[in-house]
Amino acid sequence: MTVLEVKNLVKIYTTRFGGSQVQALRNVNFSVEEGEFVAIMGESGSGKTTLLNILAALDKPTRGEVWLDGRNLNDIKEKDISAFRRDKLGFVFQDFNLLDNFSIQDNILLPLVLAGKTYDEMEIRLLKIVERLSISDILKKFPYEVSGGQKQRTAIARALIAEPRILLADEPTGALDSNTASGLLRLFCGINGGGQTILMVTHSVMAASHAKRVLFIRDGELFHQIYRGNMKNEQLYQKIADTLTMLATGGEYGA
Amino acid sequence: MRKSSLYPRLAVLSIKNNGKFYYPYILTCIFTIAMYYIMVFIQTNEGIRDMPGSDSLKSFMEFGSVIIGIFATIFLFYTNSFLMRRRKKELGLYNILGMEKRHIARVLFWETVITGIGSIALGLSCGILLSKLVLMLLLNLLQFSVPFGFSVSQKGVSSSIFLFSAVFVLILLSNLLKIKLSKPIELLKGGEMGQREPKTKVLLTIIGILSLGAGYAIAILTKSPLQAIFLFFIAVLLVIVGTYLLFTTGSIAMLKLLRKNKKYYYKTKHFTAVSGLIYRMKQNAMGLASICILSTMVLVTISTTVALYAGFEDIIGHMFPSDILINVYNPAPGEVQGKYEKIMDEVSRNGLEASDIKVYTSLSFAAKRDGNRFAAYDNNYVSDGVSELFFITSREYEALTGRPADLSPGEILVYSRQEMQEEYLEILDMRYKVKGYLENFDIYEQRTIASVVDTHYIVLRDEAELNGIYQKHQKQAEAFEYKRSPMIGNIAFDLDGNKQEVIACYRDISAAASEPYEYTYTDENGSAKKAESSSSFSVSCRQLSSDEIYNTYGGFLFLGIFLGSLFLVAAILIIYYKQITEGYSDRERFAIMQKVGMSRAEVKSTIGSQVITVFFLPLAVSCIHIAFAFSIMTKILRVFGLVNVVLFALCTAGTIAVFAVIYAAVYAVTARVYYKIVS
Repeated sequence: MTVLEVKNLVKIYTTRFGGSQVQALRNVNFSVEEGEFVAIMGESGSGKTTLLNILAALDKPTRGEVWLDGRNLNDIKEKDISAFRRDKLGFVFQDFNLLDNFSIQDNILLPLVLAGKTYDEMEIRLLKIVERLSISDILKKFPYEVSGGQKQRTAIARALIAEPRILLADEPTGALDSNTASGLLRLFCGINGGGQTILMVTHSVMAASHAKRVLFIRDGELFHQIYRGNMKNEQLYQKIADTLTMLATGGEYGA
Repeated sequence: MRKSSLYPRLAVLSIKNNGKFYYPYILTCIFTIAMYYIMVFIQTNEGIRDMPGSDSLKSFMEFGSVIIGIFATIFLFYTNSFLMRRRKKELGLYNILGMEKRHIARVLFWETVITGIGSIALGLSCGILLSKLVLMLLLNLLQFSVPFGFSVSQKGVSSSIFLFSAVFVLILLSNLLKIKLSKPIELLKGGEMGQREPKTKVLLTIIGILSLGAGYAIAILTKSPLQAIFLFFIAVLLVIVGTYLLFTTGSIAMLKLLRKNKKYYYKTKHFTAVSGLIYRMKQNAMGLASICILSTMVLVTISTTVALYAGFEDIIGHMFPSDILINVYNPAPGEVQGKYEKIMDEVSRNGLEASDIKVYTSLSFAAKRDGNRFAAYDNNYVSDGVSELFFITSREYEALTGRPADLSPGEILVYSRQEMQEEYLEILDMRYKVKGYLENFDIYEQRTIASVVDTHYIVLRDEAELNGIYQKHQKQAEAFEYKRSPMIGNIAFDLDGNKQEVIACYRDISAAASEPYEYTYTDENGSAKKAESSSSFSVSCRQLSSDEIYNTYGGFLFLGIFLGSLFLVAAILIIYYKQITEGYSDRERFAIMQKVGMSRAEVKSTIGSQVITVFFLPLAVSCIHIAFAFSIMTKILRVFGLVNVVLFALCTAGTIAVFAVIYAAVYAVTARVYYKIVS
C-alpha cells in the first residue's frame, strides 16, 4: 500500500520584493510504500529541507500534489492541518527541538496531550515506547540534563507515540557523534523492522546506508535511486559513495 | 578615514542596530533627567518661596528630588543590565571577529559617551522647557497666580549634570567589568543562558506567606491612627518582602503543585499553560514583583494625595470648626473670662461681629482603659489602648448645648465612639455613676488629637469635681515623661468679615491675648495678693491656616502625581523590556510547538493567554494590596484631618480605574511588538 505519493512537485521562492525567483524544487515525483525505509540524499541547498517541509505540510508547494495516506494535502483545510499532522506524521529533527520547559516524559506526551487523550492511555503508550527506546530511567529529567543521543531518542519517542503513518526524519544524526549516530540508525532499522514507515533526509552516507532505498536529489530534482536489495550496509555504503563521487565529478549515471 | 573615528562610528552603528532596546533606554534616561531637573527647579524657584507653607512645600520637593535621584540610579542600572544581556551575542561576535576586549571597551565607552551626553542634553532641554509648564500646574493646584517670565535653575542644571554623569560612569564601569570577566563563547551564548527549571523553595515560600500575612494583618488590625503611621512602614516592608518572595518562589511552588495533579495537568489547555508559566515566572518573577510594587506605590500615592486635595474643604471644616479659636493652657482663675472680654474688644475695634461664640474650660488627659477603669497614662498616644478623656462641667455643657444635664453629685454623662455599657466608671480611682450615654456631643474642640485618638467625653457635675480630678491627675503626672497642661480654656467663634478682615483681626487678637494677665488670690494668711498668670496660649485662625494647609496638600498632590508618573514610566518600561525578551525566547518554542502538531491559532491563543496572565498578575496583586491597605490608609489620613472614608474610597477606585486603563493601553502596544517578534 502506498503511504506517500509525490506528484510533479514544484516550489518556487520569490524574494521579498518580487525581484528574483529561486526554484527550490522542479518536478519531483516519487512514492513511499508502507513499511519502507527511504533515505533522501543531497548536498546542502539541494532542496531536501524544502521537500520535507512540504511533506510535513509546514509549507505549500507552488505546483503539484502530495498524497498522504490517501488524502491530498492541498485539500485539507488550514484549521484541520495541525490535527492531520499530529495524527499522521511523526517528526525527528537534527537539533531535536525538545522544549526546555517540559520534562522528557512531558515532551514525549505532548502530541497525545494535544490530541486530548486521557492520562491512562498516555501512560500505557508511554511505557511501551520508552521501553523500546531504553529511556525509561530519564523520564523525570529535563532536556538540558541528558545527552544528545538521549535527546534524539526522546524526539523519536515523541514522534512515534501518536503512531504516525510515516516518520519524517530531518538529518537525525547531524548533531550526534559517530557512535551515538550508528546506535540511533540501528534503532531506526529496528523500528522499521516493526513495520514503521520512515522517510529520512540526510547528507550522511553512513546514515543513508541503513535505508532500504536511497533517493538522490540535486538542484531540486530527483535523478537517481538505489534499492538495497540484498546488499549489506557496507556494500550499500560503497554504492552510495560511488554514486556521490560520480555526481560530483559530473559523470553519467546508471543503475 | 582616520582610524580613531572607527570606534565612535561603531558605537553609533550599534546604538542604531539595537534601537529596539536602546531607544527606550535613552528615552528613560531623558525622562528621568528632565524629572530630576524640574524637581530641583521647583525647589529653588523664587516664586514658590513667597507662598504660605512654602517651607513644607520645599521640603517635599527636596524629598522628591532625593527619591528621584535614588530611583533613577537603580532604574537606569536595571534597564542597562537588560540591554547588556540582549547584546552579549553581538559583543561576543566582535570578540570572535578579532576585536580585543579593550577594543570592545572602547566601543562601549563611546556608546556611553554618546547616550550619556545625548540624554543629559536632551533631558535638560526637555526639563527646562517643561519646567514652566509644571510650575504652572503646581501653582494652579495651589490656586496661586502664575508669575511671568521664564527662568533656568543653575543649581538644577549643575546637579542634574553631576548626578547623571556619575550614574553613566558607574554604568560604564559595571559593563566593562562584565565584559572583562566573560569569555567570548559565553558572550556568544549569553542570550540563551539560564533556562533551567527553577527549584521549589519551600522555606522561602513559607517566609513569603508569613511576611505578606503579617503585613496584611498589621494593615487590618491597626486601630489607632498614630500607631498606623509607625506601623505602616513596617507593613510596607513586610508586604514588599512578601511580594518578592511569593512572586519568585510561591508562584513556582503553586504551579508545580498543579503539575503534580496528573489528571489536571495532562489536559491540552493546562499542559502548555502550567509548564509555560513555570518557565516564564522564573525569568520574570523579579520584574513582575517590581511592577507590582511600583503599581501599588503609584496607586497609594495618587489616591491618597488626590483624596487629601479633594477633601480639603472637609478637612478644614473638621480641623477648624470655628474661624478663631483661642486655647489658654493652665488658666488662672478668671483668666478665660478676662481674655474673652479683651478679645471681644479687639473684634469690635476691627468692626466685625462674632457669632456662634463658645467659651468653656475643659480638662483632658491621656488614660488607659481597663474595663470600666481609667488610669492616668503618660501622654504617649502611640502605645496601644491609650485613649483621651475630656471633661467639662454640666453648667458649661448646658450653656453650650442648651440641653439639661441634671446631675446629682457623683453622676456623669458620657459620650464615646467606643462601645460602652458600664453603669459605673472608675476614673483615677474615683467612682462615678453613669447617668446616661449621650447620642452626640457637639462641643468639638480644635485639636487634631480628637480625630486621631479615641476620645471619651464626660460631663461632670460641677467645678469642684473637675478640680478634684485635676488635682489627682497633677499628682500622678509628675512622674510622666511627656508633660502637658490638662486644663484648657477654650474661646471659639466665627467672624462675619471677609478673609483679609478676619486675618487682620486674628493678628490683633493674637497681640491682645499675649498681654500678661494679672489676678488676685488669697494667700495662707488670708490677705489678697496679686500675681501674674503662668498660663500659655495659642490662637488659630481657619482662614490663615487653610491657605497653609491647602498649599501643603496641593504640594502633596503635585508630588504624588509627579512621583506616580515616574513610577508609572518605570513600570511601563519594565513591561516593555519583558515583552521583548519573552518574544525572543518564545519565538523558538512557537516554532517547535507548530511542528509537533499545534496549529498557529492554538499556539497563539495559549501563548496569548499566558502573556495576559503574567502581564495582569501584578495589577491584580497590587489591587489586593490596596484592598488590604485601605483600612490603615484611612487611619493615616485621619492624622492629616481627612475622616471622609467614602471620599477616599472613591478616589482609590478612580485611581485604580485610570491606572488600569493606562496599564491595558501599555499592554496593547507592547503586545503588538511581542507578536511581531514571535511570528
